[in-house]
Amino acid sequence: MPMKGGSLLTRRSMLRSGAVLGAAAGFGGVSLVSVSRGFAADLPDPAKVLAEINVGKYVKADYRKQYGLADDELLWDPKKDWIRTVDWEKVRSEFAGKTVKFAIGAADAESAQDGLKPFEQLSGMSVELVPIPDDSLYDKVVAEFVSGNASFDALQFFSPWLGDFAGQGFLAKLDEFAEKWKLPLDDFYDTYKLNYGYWGGQGLYGIPFDCDIQQVHFRPKYFKEVTGGSIDTKNTIKTYDDLIKFSGELNKAGKGVAGIGLMGGRGFWSTYTWEHIAAQYGMDLFNDKWEPVFNGDAGVKALETILALQKNAPTGIAGWGWAENRAAWLGGQLASNISWQDSGTQATRPDQSKISDDVLTIYEPRVSGGRFAPPNIAGSTSVVTATSKNAEGAFLMLGFLTTASIMAMNEANANGVAPGYRSVLANPNLRKVSQPAEVWATELDYAWCAPRLPGMFEMEQALGNEINKAIVGQSSPKEALDAGAKAWKEIMDKNGFYGGKPPVDFAAVADATWVGKGKTPPV
Amino acid sequence: MSIATTTGDKGRAASAARPRLYRRRSPMRRKLFPYLLVMPAVVYLLGITLYPGIYAMVQSLFRVRFASWQFIGLDNYQKLFSDPEFWASLWNTFVIGASALALQFVIALTLAAFAYRDPWVRGWRIVFLLPMLFMPSAVSFIWKLAFNDGGVVNDLLMGAGLISSPLDFLGNTWLARLSLVITDVWQWTPFLFIIFVAALQSQDMEIEEAARLDGARWRQIFFNISLPMIKPIVAVALVLRGIDIVTMFTSVFIITGGTPGGATETVSYFIYRNGFKRFDFGYASAASVVLLVATVILAQTFVKRFFKSGRD
Amino acid sequence: MKSLKHRAPSKILRLAILGAWALFCVLPILWFLSIGLRPRTEIILPQPLYWPTWTIDAWNMIWSDWPMGYYLRNSIVAVLGSVVIDLLLAIPAAYALARYRFKLREDIGFYILSTRMMAPAVVAIPIFFLFRNLGLLDTVWALMLVYAAMNLSLVTWIVRSYMLDIPPEIEDAARTDGATDLKILVLIIVPMCLPGIITAGVIAIIFGINEFLFTLLIASTKSAYTLSVALANFTGGSDGVIYNAISMVAFLAFMPVLVLLIAIQNHLSRGLTMGAVKG
Repeated sequence: MPMKGGSLLTRRSMLRSGAVLGAAAGFGGVSLVSVSRGFAADLPDPAKVLAEINVGKYVKADYRKQYGLADDELLWDPKKDWIRTVDWEKVRSEFAGKTVKFAIGAADAESAQDGLKPFEQLSGMSVELVPIPDDSLYDKVVAEFVSGNASFDALQFFSPWLGDFAGQGFLAKLDEFAEKWKLPLDDFYDTYKLNYGYWGGQGLYGIPFDCDIQQVHFRPKYFKEVTGGSIDTKNTIKTYDDLIKFSGELNKAGKGVAGIGLMGGRGFWSTYTWEHIAAQYGMDLFNDKWEPVFNGDAGVKALETILALQKNAPTGIAGWGWAENRAAWLGGQLASNISWQDSGTQATRPDQSKISDDVLTIYEPRVSGGRFAPPNIAGSTSVVTATSKNAEGAFLMLGFLTTASIMAMNEANANGVAPGYRSVLANPNLRKVSQPAEVWATELDYAWCAPRLPGMFEMEQALGNEINKAIVGQSSPKEALDAGAKAWKEIMDKNGFYGGKPPVDFAAVADATWVGKGKTPPV
Repeated sequence: MSIATTTGDKGRAASAARPRLYRRRSPMRRKLFPYLLVMPAVVYLLGITLYPGIYAMVQSLFRVRFASWQFIGLDNYQKLFSDPEFWASLWNTFVIGASALALQFVIALTLAAFAYRDPWVRGWRIVFLLPMLFMPSAVSFIWKLAFNDGGVVNDLLMGAGLISSPLDFLGNTWLARLSLVITDVWQWTPFLFIIFVAALQSQDMEIEEAARLDGARWRQIFFNISLPMIKPIVAVALVLRGIDIVTMFTSVFIITGGTPGGATETVSYFIYRNGFKRFDFGYASAASVVLLVATVILAQTFVKRFFKSGRD
Repeated sequence: MKSLKHRAPSKILRLAILGAWALFCVLPILWFLSIGLRPRTEIILPQPLYWPTWTIDAWNMIWSDWPMGYYLRNSIVAVLGSVVIDLLLAIPAAYALARYRFKLREDIGFYILSTRMMAPAVVAIPIFFLFRNLGLLDTVWALMLVYAAMNLSLVTWIVRSYMLDIPPEIEDAARTDGATDLKILVLIIVPMCLPGIITAGVIAIIFGINEFLFTLLIASTKSAYTLSVALANFTGGSDGVIYNAISMVAFLAFMPVLVLLIAIQNHLSRGLTMGAVKG
């Protein structure tokens, strides 16, 4: 539905003419209710609303009990928590009565729904949430963009799509807004700021939302049971060879538990697993002319490592995406797992996992002669559409949803949305409720991330299909990667990369790919 | 093309089709009447499908990137015909589709043959229809859980001692295809079953009686008399189901995603992947035009042959 | 019915085969029901669990966290509406295709059949545009129109097959008595092929309830989202595949259809013996 631009409403003008209420309501029952709620009674005192944004109200009772959290427990640094630094009266004066339409994946809708009521109270705006089934989010978003006039103001999506959308001009530039409202961008780890927020050296196009990293997780008790030894985060599994060896031992125990789990499904799942390992081998995706060079030695060895690990993995990983892998890990079908950090957090919650007392996330295994480059893969970013009539309001809403306190509490709730702030991940209280946090925070300063090029989504799919072929034995690792490189060249060509003026300047983004360059690794 | 030459004289033994006799209508009205009958349906369909159909055909001649269109003539088609993934998807669709259709045909026919004279047929009917009443996407989830995520099939097979280690329904080409075939057969055999039962039951019992009194055994009666007489309706059912199988998408999307290495990627999934994952809508349109033409040709020849032999 | 059992295949064989298939049909359904009625942590395990801790948490969850009532309503309204449209359009068309010879008969018949052959992924976006221009986005009407278009071919061809079954002599007799063609259609043909009409209707309902891609694009709020999209809410994102919720939604959609089928099955069997009546 087309968004009706709200006229500028101030409380004074509202009181002057009751007819404005009808005009501002526009479409749908939601807006009408929100508007009248906002104006029929006075908006509550911002301080009071903010005081309610705390652990007592936001974090599940089970988890508060599990970790002994007080209602006002500080899992974040209040000075860095954007919502507490904003002048909400100023916001109200500029935006009260306006509406923001926010499209979001259905699975995240619940956490966003709860989070938005205080925002409506603080800002006087009303938010209309449009939950879309996650597997089809892209389809819906694409249809909207293709129509030339997206009916959403704000979207939250998978960060690899950033290049595709920003490159086509579908997104609004946010630098001005971030400056005006003092969004704490520097509190983000560099890898998130540079890869999920800024794009192509051309400015700020998104606010990092779900800040992801892939890690390696183990089950220390099961490990001891099978091998008799104990495992710690640094010294037991030091290299990928160690990983192969130990997962092999763990696999022999049987009883329905496999040695290791990983994602080898078609499309980007395989790509991510491979990128994860290949980054440690020193693989670079492109050279400075934007030609794909990942089919070199490092890449091939990484794929061979995957094949070796596959022997200790359950049948079916060739069809595994995140959902299948997560279900198997939480259900106790795996002794170890290569997946995102939420495998480390969600596994500790008894209502989600059968292995809740048996989880340990370790430091990224290394490769001799390689790099320490824990992979920052996937995740999501939140953006404002270029055609939005309330871009600044939408920006404020996103700023609210991504603020440090709410993000910290997402992690406490183990709902899969992860914080990317230093002030949060370094917080000792937060670390108590998030098992992987210490390793995760340390690793982020060395993270590796693929560049957000236009067409990257398509490239990840194409490469993943080839890697999947190698995983099922239909081609050799070298053949698969060569085919992938060829496909990438075609796609880059199609997107105008080799015509002389590349869509993304190499120098501007090169540093963001591996923020660990030049630093000494912690292990 | 003669879909229409049979006139359903299944209730009679050997009389040929008789032409309609219109004694009372003016010739003009007589001629127009059938057109009037079909017009609402045709106009409705044209209204809804004409624009998308033409849109798709036109789009197949362009390179489409989100909102920008660039004319490239038949390039998409050229690329399509030299694309091994496209041919692979055609092959997959054929292998999976033909197996599923054949299997459900045989099973449905067997069940119908055993059931149609059964006084308990009403009870059987409800039970057999149950799988079809579920949302197909839910059915795909049932089998995804059974074959893969929940390991139930493997568990049962190992428990029965038939296999010693789990089967890989996602990594092994034939097992992956089998899982899709079983999903389709489980859900859609009822469709053929109720059509066959209805057809067998609506036959005139006299012929069967006569044959029986002549001493013919059940098997002879069934294969030589009953079956040929229901051929037209069998053909229609197979064509309808066949068209749906050719556009098999949901189970591929939910259960395998085309794994392993594209071996279960059907044409529909290929089209979807090119459109919504590679945003190459021009290419996807070209593929769907080709699919449409192929289906039309197949349906035409199949229907023609079946109806020709169905007479008598 | 005459008893022909002494010439029919052995009763034991029959029972065995029918019984085996019946089990094959029913067991997965019961198992899936047990998946819906258990806590999420008991679904995916190293060894599958067949007798879980029974709980209706998932059922409660889908109703409390989502506007399931709206989804159900939309599914029912859109699907029933589309079936009504289909029957209104298909019955006359089927009659024309079954009984009359006219020049464009085969072409029209085939055109109707061919509308089923277009892959949804490709026409999804132009359909989205079409309804956007008509201002019908996010309405059940749009869904009704799309489902009707999707299933019209199926309904037409099934009804036509049943119409072909009717002995032409009945129509001739009526015509000699002076009935108009239209009256014949409505008063004689339709009642006689009611089982076929009902069969076609039920099948159209099944297909309509499941339609996903068009629904996804056309609908954006609970005023138009249906159960098929609701199912998809539980299949992705940060919570993975929530099987117990999926099971409950599936059964929610299944129940009305089952009830409908049981209610009308008398019609089905009554009509089905018609062929045995000598006319």
